[in-house]
Amino acid sequence: MTSTGRVRATVVLAIGVLTAWACVENISSPPVCPEFCPGGGIVTVESVLTGAVVRDSSFTGYRTANESFVLLASSEAPIDSRPIFETLPILTRIKIDTGTDTTTGPVVIDSVRLAFSWLRRDTTFRNVRLELYRLPIGLDSNSTLAAVIPAFGTPLRVVNLDSLLVARRDSVTGDTILSVDTVRRTVVVSLKFDSAQAPYSLADSGRVAFGVRVTADSNATLVLGSADDGRGPRMTWFNRVDSAGTLVAKAAQPRGLLFDTFVTNYSLPALDSNLTIGGIPATRTLIRFALPRSIRDSAQIIRATMLLIPTGPPPVATRDSVFLLVSHLSADVGAKSPIAADTIGAQSPVFVAGSSDTVHIEMTTLLRFWQFDTTSVNAAFLSLRALDRGLDTLRAAGAEGASFTTLRFFSSRTPAFAPALRLTYVPRVKFGVP
Amino acid sequence: MRTTRILALVSAGLGWAGRGAAQDSPLSIHGLGMPGRVESVRARATGGAFAAFDPLSALVEAPAASASRLTATAAIASTYLQDDFNGTTGSRRTGRFPLFQVLGSLGHGVVAGGGFTTYLDRSYRVTISDTITLGGSGQAVTDELASDGGVTDARIILARRFGRLALGAGYHLLTGSTRVDAVRRFTDTSTYRGVSQSDEIAYHGAGFSASALVTLPHLWLAGFWRSDTRLTSEVQRATVTENDLPQTVGGAIRWQPAPDVNFAASLLRRSWASAADSNAYNTTTWSAGADIRLGLPVRFGARGGDLPFGPGGKAPREFAVAVGSGLTVSQGRAVIDFAVERLRRTTTGLTETGWTFLVGLTLRP
Repeated sequence: MTSTGRVRATVVLAIGVLTAWACVENISSPPVCPEFCPGGGIVTVESVLTGAVVRDSSFTGYRTANESFVLLASSEAPIDSRPIFETLPILTRIKIDTGTDTTTGPVVIDSVRLAFSWLRRDTTFRNVRLELYRLPIGLDSNSTLAAVIPAFGTPLRVVNLDSLLVARRDSVTGDTILSVDTVRRTVVVSLKFDSAQAPYSLADSGRVAFGVRVTADSNATLVLGSADDGRGPRMTWFNRVDSAGTLVAKAAQPRGLLFDTFVTNYSLPALDSNLTIGGIPATRTLIRFALPRSIRDSAQIIRATMLLIPTGPPPVATRDSVFLLVSHLSADVGAKSPIAADTIGAQSPVFVAGSSDTVHIEMTTLLRFWQFDTTSVNAAFLSLRALDRGLDTLRAAGAEGASFTTLRFFSSRTPAFAPALRLTYVPRVKFGVP
Repeated sequence: MRTTRILALVSAGLGWAGRGAAQDSPLSIHGLGMPGRVESVRARATGGAFAAFDPLSALVEAPAASASRLTATAAIASTYLQDDFNGTTGSRRTGRFPLFQVLGSLGHGVVAGGGFTTYLDRSYRVTISDTITLGGSGQAVTDELASDGGVTDARIILARRFGRLALGAGYHLLTGSTRVDAVRRFTDTSTYRGVSQSDEIAYHGAGFSASALVTLPHLWLAGFWRSDTRLTSEVQRATVTENDLPQTVGGAIRWQPAPDVNFAASLLRRSWASAADSNAYNTTTWSAGADIRLGLPVRFGARGGDLPFGPGGKAPREFAVAVGSGLTVSQGRAVIDFAVERLRRTTTGLTETGWTFLVGLTLRP
């Protein structure tokens, strides 16, 4: 290679290196403000919008006692509540032979087990005693506490659930704790009835109705799973069949419920111009939001908190851990508005009713969704949910119509204490202005 | 064959270098941005002193009258800058494609040309950590404010020689855009959501220019004038602001005491003060340099003067020295110019120093 060639090659190599180096860019400057920072930058605004909640109303009847996911037992004044349930009938005659012989014989009950789920167990309660009563069959949604209370005479069984939970099995009665789920705070209990206690009635085809009453040293409440949630009481009939005086062992007959509910002296406070939430039957509040266009269309919301001011102490306050759930609607048709089938919503912190403190609900996700989807309905149902598991999960989970707790808040008809939105937002940055 | 490969490599490199812009600076945060440089690489190597006599620089039209063949040039610039904000330091690197020009004869002594240069650069990124009061308590936030892009000057020129006098005129279309981003992140992400906003600002404007070049024995004198109208900034097709653009007047002198020795100097005045409400200043800039042939050309020079936008109540100052050379290949059909420039900018609270490495490719097919 000539010297000229080497020079040219060197130059070309240098150009190549420079070209590659030129493609790397870093235009970041140290922040020295305000001298060397862009003007008109990001500004955060905090504002309480008292007129953002409009046309708010309360409606009731969303989940009645017999539709509830739980059966509430309470003997804590002033509430007296007693679960009642009726089991499905069993086969009163069973084929004696397993072959082609279709001859049947009457069943002979050896013993019965009643299994139920004990939900929302509060570890601070002591000596929770379950009293089981035999009730006349024929229970339905019209059954009332006054109608069934005469049947609550002598209990069929009294079981100290706390003692049983410690022992796990009562060798005398045969009662057993089948499982303990500390995450879901659920205990499955199985009670045994021997042949003398077995409430078998041939005339009723094995249908049997029970009533439950709870007593305790304090805080006498008990929450049982219901058939509506798939966790209702189940009866298992252990039986044999009579074959001309010879008893032939047969498979047990498990049976679920024909009907379950709870009867109570609780009555929902009458709806008025305020906002009522909770109770049984479940009461919801429909809230419609009217965001200023300047915020809805142009600003970016970084935090939104709804403020609900109680009218005073709750009309009904229990010891249940509850929270308010905000469910946005897919259409606004009043009381029967359908709730949108997605997970976008909001909820308050879990609390125990009793104080008159303002309730704060973080609504950021929901309001940002409404900004994003301008066709969506800016309305939501507020419902009261009873916490049915520990707070170790990401979101509180709970059921509606599962607590007697009833809350009452001022509505927009009381301007001084109306529901309000506290918004923290960033107005649109004005680009292009030097 | 080797030369062809060389040209292909350089062309590919220039094409790869990306969009056009000038050196960015924290000073481009203020006002309309940082004015771009319009010199070709060989003029830049002299501090810009020869730009008024260089047909491939985009400063003056009249010298183009001497172009007899189709000629095209392009430049690539890579800049490394260090900022010192009274003890707070930072460094930046940028790669730019600041100039492209084409000239060709239309016959009858008329030369037409066109091309683009960077008119204003608005590239910056600032990350600010702060604490703001929300809900009665302090919340740590990090803001990132960024702009990337600028205004390009696309020009069409005509020039003709009348004996010792060459005249030229040009129409300048100012166009371009910047991508702007504003992001705020909260340290407490469980309570506050971050926000971000991005947009594109489109710029429109126009300008006219005229120039004259007088050729005397061993001496050239150039005078030029340019008037730009208004710069319209649009966001989503809505005009957000209009800014006056400056008038430019200037003159330059070139002296050739010997066939291979050239000296030049220029002076330029631009009325930027009307462009923005505050922190905008009229500017006077100068340059002086030499181009000496010692086998290869040896070019060097210096430039200095005011910058139009900056804080502190007075115009920022800029001073730069440059040196460079060139390489003719392919029997004179291509020229590779290169230069290196050391610059220093000062204003209240900021001293900025840096190196710029430039490579230019000129083709005469």
